Order: sequence, then structure tokens, then C-alpha cells
Amino acid sequence: MSEFLRAYLTVAVFGLAAGLLVAAMLGLGKLVQPSRPSRQKRINYESGVDPVGAGFGQSQVRYYIFALLFVMFDVEAVFIFPWAIGLESFGVFGLIEMAIFIVILALGLVYAWRKGVLRWA
Amino acid sequence: MLHLLAQAEPFRSPTVDFHAFAPEIVLSVSIVVVLLVDLVFDERGKWATSSIAGIGLLAALVPVLTLAVDGADRSLFDGAYVVDNFALVMKALFLLSGYVTILISARYIAEGDYYEGEYYFMLLCSLLGMLVMGSARDLISIFVALELLSIPAYLLAGWRKRDLRGNEASLKYYLLGVFAAAVMLYGMSLIFGVTGSTILTEIGAALDGGEAPAPIVVVGILFIVIGFAFKVSAVPFHTWAPDTYEGAPTPITAYLSVASKAAGFVALLQLVFIGFLGRSDVWGPLFWVLAAITMTVGNLIALRQTNIVRMLAYSSVAQAGFMLAPFAVAGDIDVDRGGPLAAIPPVVTYLLIYAAMNLGAFAVVMVVARKTRSGELSSYGGLFEYAPGLAVLMTVFIFALAGIPPLGGWLAKFVVFRALLDAGTPAAIVLAVIAAVNSVISLFYYASVAREMWMRPVPDGDRAPIRIPASLGSALALAAAFTLLFGVSNVATRFGDLAIFGFLP
Repeated sequence: MSEFLRAYLTVAVFGLAAGLLVAAMLGLGKLVQPSRPSRQKRINYESGVDPVGAGFGQSQVRYYIFALLFVMFDVEAVFIFPWAIGLESFGVFGLIEMAIFIVILALGLVYAWRKGVLRWA
Repeated sequence: MLHLLAQAEPFRSPTVDFHAFAPEIVLSVSIVVVLLVDLVFDERGKWATSSIAGIGLLAALVPVLTLAVDGADRSLFDGAYVVDNFALVMKALFLLSGYVTILISARYIAEGDYYEGEYYFMLLCSLLGMLVMGSARDLISIFVALELLSIPAYLLAGWRKRDLRGNEASLKYYLLGVFAAAVMLYGMSLIFGVTGSTILTEIGAALDGGEAPAPIVVVGILFIVIGFAFKVSAVPFHTWAPDTYEGAPTPITAYLSVASKAAGFVALLQLVFIGFLGRSDVWGPLFWVLAAITMTVGNLIALRQTNIVRMLAYSSVAQAGFMLAPFAVAGDIDVDRGGPLAAIPPVVTYLLIYAAMNLGAFAVVMVVARKTRSGELSSYGGLFEYAPGLAVLMTVFIFALAGIPPLGGWLAKFVVFRALLDAGTPAAIVLAVIAAVNSVISLFYYASVAREMWMRPVPDGDRAPIRIPASLGSALALAAAFTLLFGVSNVATRFGDLAIFGFLP
């Protein structure tokens, strides 16, 4: 076995150990726990809220636009945080670069706002 | 994390050569202006967006010219972004074909029920990606440029929002485009893994010939070339092209078949002749097969088309085969005839001429469709009787595409054949024979358009003359002028010879 593949052996062993650990924990729980199912206990757990409706729920397509806007600001944050950490070293050059970046992104937001995307109607 | 940052070298602001970036900056500013005009003036300002977009493109041409006059090769960001003669020639081509696209779009978009401001915004964004592509000499900047030019194009292909064919066009283009990008990225990751660099000149130095290539290099090059084969619609990766071309708005079809295809070739030229120059034993045979089947299959299917847009789509697939041919024999060209790099001018020349004649053909299709509301070949019956000027122009463009002297197309084919014969190996001669046979085949379907226009009766007897709007008329005039100029002068070959890389491994 080559050096290259041996490195992957470690990954395989790691995966196997993880699988065994999960199986052991769940199996042990199954062995020792008492089981008294009731209708109330069998419903899906969703953060403590009672599930409503059928399994296939349709969500508003409007959420999609909000998701897109969210991604926009997410990406903005991805670039702004490292820049903020190194703010002093990046100096005026970095400041102007970031200003251009934010202005163009803000333009996108203004566009979405003018097109009525932000209104929930 | 923070202590890692502290250990890093102190940041020094790069010295940005703003002159080198001027075309991109001008275009970016006009993109913002188009969006703002659309936002602020709403319905009252929509008519202005096409003019602003057109003026922005012409304004971006000014710095391209000043950079050309200046003449110095500029390399930015450690060689990831290069402004050399090749980049400038291609940028001029992108800007001019973008301008013609706007000319043929203006009435179509204004008269239809389309989003107008966004249309030009998207088109300019896509063109910005092409400008970046012309200068990108780094795997990452090539990929960013490719995405920037493709993503607006996916949307533009589906601009006829309530048309089923339009949706199909957009979706097919998007899915296959994303698939191709994934394949290409995988290839790029392999090449990066082998060479340890994303800069093309460094990759070129690392992959420099010698003993047999490692399998991983073969796979990497194969995947990257296949990724761009989708973009230039080479067979067997052409399946999206006819449906997308038919379903997309006709101006966008013209744009995709000219500018977008040219951008794919630009990326291929940069990758192959800078990054993989020493490995022609890998990509030579690959391009040979691609070129041979692309021109043959494209032509054979085009023969059977009854819709003119589909016919032009398959014809553009076949034309891509001719442009791929010089790649196939580049490794066999003798050093005293210019070596492998001698295969670049034929491709660039072909791209320039093809842009003029294909945009012209689509402009005529646009004008005729304004009257007939049809893309069927039969709707061209008797065009000469009621629109003689238009029929003559269409004849010029399709015979140019067929390669008949003295129109532009013959010169394009001539430089390709010359490159094939310069290589002179048996494989190159066989490819030249295949190309020659295909030129003859293509004449059949190009000539069938002419026969329809000149000899058939008018299908429904409607002989009302066709009014040509000013913008479409100027697009037609520009395309016709360039098609004729390229045919009778050596302008195109001069530009082809000019387009050389400033930095090689």
C-alpha cells in the first residue's frame, strides 16, 4: 500500500470508529431504556412546536426572495469581517475598496426595495 | 485565527494600474448608471437605458484604444491579470459585438413586454465578464470571468418570461452550463494540485513537455477543455445550443452565438497556449477529434433544419469546428513557421470575421421576423420581390458564412486551411480534407436560404415592404461593412497577427 493510500486508511478507521461509537450509544440506550409509546410521544419533535398539516408543506415563494437577500448580506459579512480585523493595515486603500463593494451591494438592496421586494403583500 | 493573522506579512496596498483597468471601470460605471436610471426614473427613463448602455460600451472602447496606442504589455496582480495585444484585440471584439447586440435589441425589447432596464444591465454585466476574460491569465480569474459572463446570459436566454420555449432555453443552458463549470473546476483543481500554481505562466513552466505526462495531468487538461467545449458548443457538448438559440430572444441568440462563443475561445486560447503549451501531445488529439466531429455533425444536422434560427444555430456549431481545427495541429507546426503559437492568429481572425457575418445574419432574421412573425425558412420566400435590399444583405451574410470570396468568410477559412497545411502532418492533412468536404456541405443549406429568397414565390402573397428601424439598419450596415471589408482587405488577418500574448512561460 502506498504512502498516499495509507493516509486514507486513517480516514477509514476514523469513520469506522465513529460508526461504532454511534451504534454503541444508540444500542445501549435501546437496551436500558423503558419503552412505553403513546400517541403524543410519537409525533415528530420540531423545537417543541406541535407539527401541523401534512408532511409535504408548501412554503411561500416570497421566502425565496428573502433568502436571496440574506445570502447577499451573508456574503457581505464574509468580506467585511476579515477586512475589519485588518482595518489599520489595509489603510485608505482598503477603505475605498470596501466602500465601493458596499455601495454596489447597497445598490442591489435599493433595487430590491424599489421593485417592492421588501413589501410582504 | 487572530494570532495567525498577526503572523501574516503586513499588508501593502498594491499599486493598481488604473489605465490598464480603464475599460472595465468605464463599463462598471455605465452598469451602475443603467441600473440607477432604471430605478430613479422608472417608466419614464426606460427608453434611455439602451442608449446609455450603447454609449457606455463605446466609451469603454476609448481606453482600449489608448492602451493599444500606448502599446506596453501590462501585468497586474503577480500576472493574474494581463493587458497585452491579445487582450486588447479581444476586448475590442467583445465591445463592438456587444454594441451591435444592443443595436439589434433596442426595438425588440422596447416593443415587447419585457423588462427593459434590467435587460441592458444584464447584458453589460455579461460583457464585463468578457472584458475580464480577455485579460484573465489565472485559473481563478478565468473562472470568475466565466461565471460573470455566464450567469447573466442564463437569465437573458429566458427573457421571454411567459414563453415555454424561452423557459426551456434558459433552463437547459443553465443546467448544462453549471455542469460544464463543475467538470472544469475539477480539472482546474487537478492542474493546481500538480503544478502548485493558478497563474497560467507558472503552470506552463511546470507542465513543460519532457517525458510522458502524468495521468492526472491528462485528466486535468481533458476536463478543462471539455468544460469550455460546452461554452463554444463543440460536438458532443453542443446539445443545449439549438434549443437555447431557438427559445432565447433573437438578439440574445446572436449575442450567445458570437460574443459568448468568442469568450469561450479566448479562455481556451489562453489556457492551451500559455498554461498547457508544452503538453500538445495531450490536447492535440483531443482537439482533432472535437474539430472533426463538430464541423461534420453540425453541418449534417443543419442540412435538415427548416427553422432559420435553428439552422444558424447548427451552422454556428459547425463554424466552431473550423475554429477548433488550428488547435488540433498547433503542436505540429514547425518552429520556422512560428511554432505552436502560429495557431493563434487563424483562430482570432476567424472569430473577428465570424462575429461580423453572424451578427449580420441574425440582424436580418430580426428584421424579417418583424414582418412575418416567423422563423421558418419558408417565410423567406420571395423576399427579393418585396425587400430587395434585405435579400441582398442576407445573401451577403450567408454566402460569407459559406466562405465564398470576396466576402469575409473565405478569408477565415483560408487562414484555417493555411494553418492546417503549415503543420503538414498526415493528421493535419486529413483534418484539412474533412474541413474542405464540410465547406462544400455547408453551401447546400446556406444556398437553400438564398434559393428561398430569390426563386420561391411569396408564401402568403403579402408583398408589403419591410420597414427597417434605424437601430437595426445601423447594425445591418455595420455588419455588412465589416463582412465586405474583411473579405477584400487583410484587416482581419492583420488583427489576428497582432493578437499575441505578452507573457509566456
